Amino acid sequence: MTQISISKVVKRARHIGLYILMAVIAFIMLTPIFLAMFNSVKLESQILSANMTFFPRSIHFDNYQYIFDRFGKFGAYFKNSLIVTISSVLLTIVFCSLGGYAFAKLPFRGRGIMLSIILFMMTFPLAVLLIPIYIMEYNLKLLNTNIGLILPCVATVVPFCLLIMRSVYIEIPDEIEEAATIDGCNVFETWMHIMLPASTGGLSIVTIFTFYNIWGEYMLSKTLVTRESAMTISVGVTLLKGEGGWQFGVLGAVVTLAMLPPIIMFMIFQRSLVSGLLSGAVKG
Amino acid sequence: MAKFQRSLSARQRTKARYGVIFVLPAFLLATVFMIYPLFASLYLSLTKYNFAFDTKPQFIGMENYVKAFQDSAFIDSIGVTAVYSVLYFVLVMLGGLILALMLFYAKGKTSVFRTAYFLPIVIPLSLSSFIFNWILQKNYGLLNYFLADILGVGSLTREWLSTNPWAMISIVVVSVWATVGFETILFLNGLQALPEDMLEAGIVDGATGFRTLFSIILPNLRETFAVTGIWAILQALKVYIVPSLVTWGGPGTATTVMYMYVYRQSFTYLEMGYGAALGFIMSILIMALSLLNMRISKKV
Repeated sequence: MTQISISKVVKRARHIGLYILMAVIAFIMLTPIFLAMFNSVKLESQILSANMTFFPRSIHFDNYQYIFDRFGKFGAYFKNSLIVTISSVLLTIVFCSLGGYAFAKLPFRGRGIMLSIILFMMTFPLAVLLIPIYIMEYNLKLLNTNIGLILPCVATVVPFCLLIMRSVYIEIPDEIEEAATIDGCNVFETWMHIMLPASTGGLSIVTIFTFYNIWGEYMLSKTLVTRESAMTISVGVTLLKGEGGWQFGVLGAVVTLAMLPPIIMFMIFQRSLVSGLLSGAVKG
Repeated sequence: MAKFQRSLSARQRTKARYGVIFVLPAFLLATVFMIYPLFASLYLSLTKYNFAFDTKPQFIGMENYVKAFQDSAFIDSIGVTAVYSVLYFVLVMLGGLILALMLFYAKGKTSVFRTAYFLPIVIPLSLSSFIFNWILQKNYGLLNYFLADILGVGSLTREWLSTNPWAMISIVVVSVWATVGFETILFLNGLQALPEDMLEAGIVDGATGFRTLFSIILPNLRETFAVTGIWAILQALKVYIVPSLVTWGGPGTATTVMYMYVYRQSFTYLEMGYGAALGFIMSILIMALSLLNMRISKKV
């Protein structure tokens, strides 16, 4: 009897220990994110002084004020990021839901080869494609434009998103499609009124995946955009440190603002983001 | 009957036509920004082409590839990438597995912890690198502050970013921080897919704790190990952002990885012919491992 209760106590203690350990690790994992947020509400003197602290002693919004006072520059970064990300997401949704539907349900000659080519492209690192893209955009005067960044960004996510949408459409039974045809829908109408609404699960994965990838996109942005007015926040932020000494507080505020959209998206769509990334890892 | 067949094939043809039209936008984009660049890059890799000085690419055959294998700085960067990859691989796999096991064994609510472990992966890597720059700063960095002022072990403080081997260790740790949550979720997925009676059988047999872990759980996670393992390798070979923003490849060339060297040749020195050749060598390395990934994932 005592044997059992002792082992129960041990088990209990071990369980509590496990939770404490997990909490400590969670805290460490979140520390960098908290640091940026905390620094953004500290005064400069509280960050650089010898008696600095991790937690803010008092909360000031001076750094955010500084950003809004000089909104031209910071605003441009955020504006570009928003334009590039939102346009890319929309284009990807349209391209991949149309293409995924065709790859799933509309057989045509050369379909298999086309799909294999797209799959094959997924394995190439961006490094090898970047040079011709740069030269091409230089010749077409697309460098330092939003559209010049949007198109290659979409191209990098299209293969994966096509696969996702294709697998979603394959799951939808043919009978539903046939019923729509009998009702007099043409192929486009079937896609629009029947297929698209039935694939919201896949669409949300595509949306999150694209949003998260392109908001944080660095390689293409760094290469194809060199002018500050066209820069996105993920690259722009790396240039800020050179100016006027290290304005840690202001930087904290910029970084915090730049982190918020993906964090908010993550909190809202956690489930589909995780499952989307999982299927990406397994396939790619 | 004949009429029915004809109408069926007419419908097939309509479908095929729509199919082509529907695929076209995505395929055009892939053609312009992936397939064409791939071939253009292949051609460029056979030319001498400095974007600043040469008016057009000049064909030189395999010379760039020969040069690459004699370029000691490039070979060094492959070496740096290899060291980085081994360290990263071991840490991210172990870390992911341990975190997943903890989440798996804790029977209660763990969603808060799962979120905390996973959150870093949604933060753009350029921002994370930036934050870690502060943390690892010598004078005002959080890590040195924590070591000296909180723990009181000032002797442990370091110039993390500019001394060996700490610069390499720093970029490995930053990369592990940013991605371990993803491996954790993959491992957790694998653990949760294990049949329940398998675990119970272990307990009935009297196999406790570590015995169950090593004799029953880990051997049955082969598929998961394949996926997480290759993901980690690919992630490691493509590393670029963290070393280029946290340590700037330094001190010296101690953290100048392959991708950074290729990028520098192409876009700093504008040697686009040579850069393309280096890019292809790197791609072949990465692709070989991707194909291996697909083979293994299919097999297990």
